[in-house]
Amino acid sequence: MSEGHDDHGHGKQGFVSTYLFSFDHKMIGKQYLTLAMMMALVGGILAMLIRLQLGWPGTLWPSLETFFPTGMASGVMTPEFYVMLFTMHGTIMVFFVLSLAPVSGFGNFLIPLQIGARDMAFPFLNMLSFWTVLPGAIIILISFLVEGGAAASGWTAYPPLSAIRSAIPGSGAGQTLWIVGMVFFIASFTMGGLNFVVTILNLRTKGMKMMRLPLTTWAQFVVGVLGLLSFPALAAGAILLLFDRGLGTSFFLPAGIYIGDQLFAHEGGTPLLWQHLFWFLGHPEVYIIMLPAMGFASDIIATFSRRPIFGYRSMVYAIIAIGILSFLVWGHHMFVSGMSPFLGSVFVMTTLAIAIPSAVKTFNWLSTLWKAKIRFTTPMLFALGIVSLFVTGGLTGLFLGTNATDIQLHDTYFVVAHFHFIMAGAGLFGALAAVYYWFPKMFGRFMNEGLGKIHFWLTFLAYYGTFFPMHYLGIAGMMRRIYDPNTYDYLKPLQPVNTFITVSAFILGAAQLIFVANYFWSMAKGRKCAESNPWESNGLEWSAPSPPGHGNWEGEIPEVHRWPYDYNNPDEDREFTPQWQPARVKARG
Amino acid sequence: MAEEEKVRPYVSHGTAMALSIWGIVLVSVVFFFVYGLPDLASDRSSQDTLYYVILAISGVAYIIVQLILGTFIFRFRHRDDAAGSYWHDSHRLEVGWTLGTAAVLVPIVVSGLVIWGDVKASTDVPPDAIVIEAVGAQFQWDFRYPGPDGAIGGFQPELYSLENPLGIDETDPASADDFVRTNQLVLPVDRVAHLRLRSKDVQHAFFLPNFRVKQDLVPGMETSVTFTPIKTGEYEIACAELCGLGHYRMRAFLTVMSASDYDAWLAEQAAQN
Repeated sequence: MSEGHDDHGHGKQGFVSTYLFSFDHKMIGKQYLTLAMMMALVGGILAMLIRLQLGWPGTLWPSLETFFPTGMASGVMTPEFYVMLFTMHGTIMVFFVLSLAPVSGFGNFLIPLQIGARDMAFPFLNMLSFWTVLPGAIIILISFLVEGGAAASGWTAYPPLSAIRSAIPGSGAGQTLWIVGMVFFIASFTMGGLNFVVTILNLRTKGMKMMRLPLTTWAQFVVGVLGLLSFPALAAGAILLLFDRGLGTSFFLPAGIYIGDQLFAHEGGTPLLWQHLFWFLGHPEVYIIMLPAMGFASDIIATFSRRPIFGYRSMVYAIIAIGILSFLVWGHHMFVSGMSPFLGSVFVMTTLAIAIPSAVKTFNWLSTLWKAKIRFTTPMLFALGIVSLFVTGGLTGLFLGTNATDIQLHDTYFVVAHFHFIMAGAGLFGALAAVYYWFPKMFGRFMNEGLGKIHFWLTFLAYYGTFFPMHYLGIAGMMRRIYDPNTYDYLKPLQPVNTFITVSAFILGAAQLIFVANYFWSMAKGRKCAESNPWESNGLEWSAPSPPGHGNWEGEIPEVHRWPYDYNNPDEDREFTPQWQPARVKARG
Repeated sequence: MAEEEKVRPYVSHGTAMALSIWGIVLVSVVFFFVYGLPDLASDRSSQDTLYYVILAISGVAYIIVQLILGTFIFRFRHRDDAAGSYWHDSHRLEVGWTLGTAAVLVPIVVSGLVIWGDVKASTDVPPDAIVIEAVGAQFQWDFRYPGPDGAIGGFQPELYSLENPLGIDETDPASADDFVRTNQLVLPVDRVAHLRLRSKDVQHAFFLPNFRVKQDLVPGMETSVTFTPIKTGEYEIACAELCGLGHYRMRAFLTVMSASDYDAWLAEQAAQN
């Protein structure tokens, strides 16, 4: 299993094998993080353009014509450009940012370090997974340049819009490239999931029992399983969609479709099949994004509270329960889709059941803060932000998971608000918290704390300013995905809310540039971190040098003697007792 | 970590975090009293009642949990005298809040299912209901009325053309007196309306914000909605499912009339036919 590691030894390696085709899980993790950051810049610019249109619909922005000669022809955004913007914003952010950074980025970097392994179980597969997702990302980006533009059927790609070329301009080459890009992404993510599961099950160091794993690794373990089981459904769906588009099959297309004075020859399929396949992935995907963030929050909150995580066992069970339930709730996206109302009722029960383990996690975090001695470092502020966003986003899930109230709120901005708090918020704040926290381990330097604090405050306040008012829009009946809400008389009074949201979004976007600058500046010039354990933390990763060399530990891999949350253990003489410290030979009590 | 940071680790940020969370709770709750659901014009008040019940429950939970979060952050932001506590398990507490959460959720689920059952029991359309066919297409709504015979004729996709956009089967005797109004739906007040929804091209969603009605139109299958208008007036109909470039302007109007006005309107339409 460890064939990749020993084969090429610990000697000095060339540029190509160190930075490009590296087998080292740490370098691969960094490659994923860098890719995710680049994609986040693109996805973020798309979001800014969406907000520009909604903040001041129909306003002329002549200077933007230079950058988007067709989409902003003579300075006015076209409806087709707007539809592409939100389609690609969703696709890029959900898959290429919020999945890549916390899962592929930090999963790869942290798992071997946290479990005491020299590398992932399949280093070659790991390298391959990165070099599979990279072409996927490039294909997705190139799709903006093809005739007709990028995909424009929403990130959910519902057929017939995504299946019939004449249904919308982006349904040409752009949609084909979207599907191909997604297939690359799925292939990569499946390789990653396999590596996660096998590594965690088989390569733990001596003494690292499953119930001694940090919650971050527990989350990554369940995420690996979710990815392996759910993504193939979307891969199948995407390939069937390709067939419907190009080979005349009818998996998702019924008889009688009439577009542009043309009656199509398809018969026998149904668009609802796509929705089932898409959401069978789509809902576990939400937890693929959220669970790692919940793991980071747990580890970071424990460290900077100087408290053991409260209810470790119930945290683990909650992660597993959320993982299992996430496969049984996909139908709540389809309450008003035309799916059987009886089936809808079943999905209400499973959906609201998932609120129970979620609430358990929240109460455990709060209890961890009880009688704590909090150190408000930047990663801690972001971790506390996750808890706040998670509470807000979790509670609005009650309205949408209950089918009777979902009727009114479905496909309105209430949904947009909900998932930006629960999924995007957790994913973004989780990734940022993780970067600030593990940066010394990754690069042997600290990020600038002052810039980090400014970044946090702008991000936290602007995040609420951007996404909370979207609840009001949704309650007042504003639909998603509309180019100009002022088309409707009843939505016109909401324009000030939309303008406020746009201003907040611009602040939120600008704040991220501070982070990017801090990240690259600190990598080269940040305060040096000489110690291996700068935060006085207990996880095994803090026993390795900062940054760890190839193989992670210079000598033997340390043995693990305890759980990773021994802060202020009264039986020990120090405020923190790392996992690798042997139990003191002394009678208890 | 530098020495002075270990002693007073950014305490002011703890205070600021607590104040921010409290402030966010205050401001965000106030605006729920400013922005609300559109005025209700249908018999679906039970959906609104459940909405307000969930709003109350989740609102209380939101306020309490965020306040506790802020309070703990403030209270435990720094303590010169004490170390962090080692307390990390309480079977009683954990069972308590697990069951407590479940106990709050059960009534929501049950009432949700009951209301859903009422709204979706479209097989129980009463015989005096007005049945209308609503056809969605990029980017307009067509409403086909049954005419004096009370029956809507059939349609064939093969008959779709620019002259016969709904593919109406003229050989069907029921079609003879049907009439179609584009982007204009008219209904009488206080009478059950049953709309049979079909799409000619892609998916759409029939959304009546004031009536708490939303239902996707799916090519290849018929869906339906049943509701009763309770107020006369003019209302907007929206498309709520992305259907193409013109999705944002796939707008129509619903006029709810008194019973006598409606009969007069029907007679006028029949005369024109």
